[in-house]
Amino acid sequence: MSFREKSAWAMAVLLGAAGLYYLYIVRAASAATGETAPPQIAILFVLLVVIGAVVVQTVLAVSSPKAAGAPADERERIAGDRAGHWSGLLLATGVVCALGHYMAYGDGNALFHLVAGSLILAQIVEYGLEIFLLRRSF
Amino acid sequence: MGKRPPITNRVRDYRERTGAMSQAALGEAIGVTRQTVIAIEQGRYSPSLESAFRIARLFGVGVEDVFGWEGE
Repeated sequence: MSFREKSAWAMAVLLGAAGLYYLYIVRAASAATGETAPPQIAILFVLLVVIGAVVVQTVLAVSSPKAAGAPADERERIAGDRAGHWSGLLLATGVVCALGHYMAYGDGNALFHLVAGSLILAQIVEYGLEIFLLRRSF
Repeated sequence: MGKRPPITNRVRDYRERTGAMSQAALGEAIGVTRQTVIAIEQGRYSPSLESAFRIARLFGVGVEDVFGWEGE
């Protein structure tokens, strides 16, 4: 397994777990107060992801220092570009849906969480697609 | 799996002829990862023109000696 693929797996797992945690805290806080949780609740999620990403990337870089320092090769760049294209479309769709929700309900907090959720989902899909493309023919 | 590219190659043959050069060594010589060399040898990925030339020049042959079109 290449360094890029290992990195994509690790980040997909990290973001998946952090995303589920984010969903849980937003739902719990919203249920407790009876209204959509404020955006500030995402700070813990952001810290978790940033610290987790630093730890994951450091461990990967220490285990394969040469591969970590090398730029993506031509096949990895194509896989990354295609994955980025589809995840970008997913993010745009999520943002449009979030804006539609805001137009219908006028809930700015929900708008924030829907956009943040779209961003998380799009990033997970990007990592997943990158892994898929690195393993298939193209 | 996606559709396999219609380009065939004899990279493995030439690599083994050249003193059993490893996939990692070939990858390093042409600037790609070992996984990309594996994908090329298995016919799952068609390299860029630049990499195809680099491979051929490394083996001291022409591009058409290493790469071909399926069925030809």
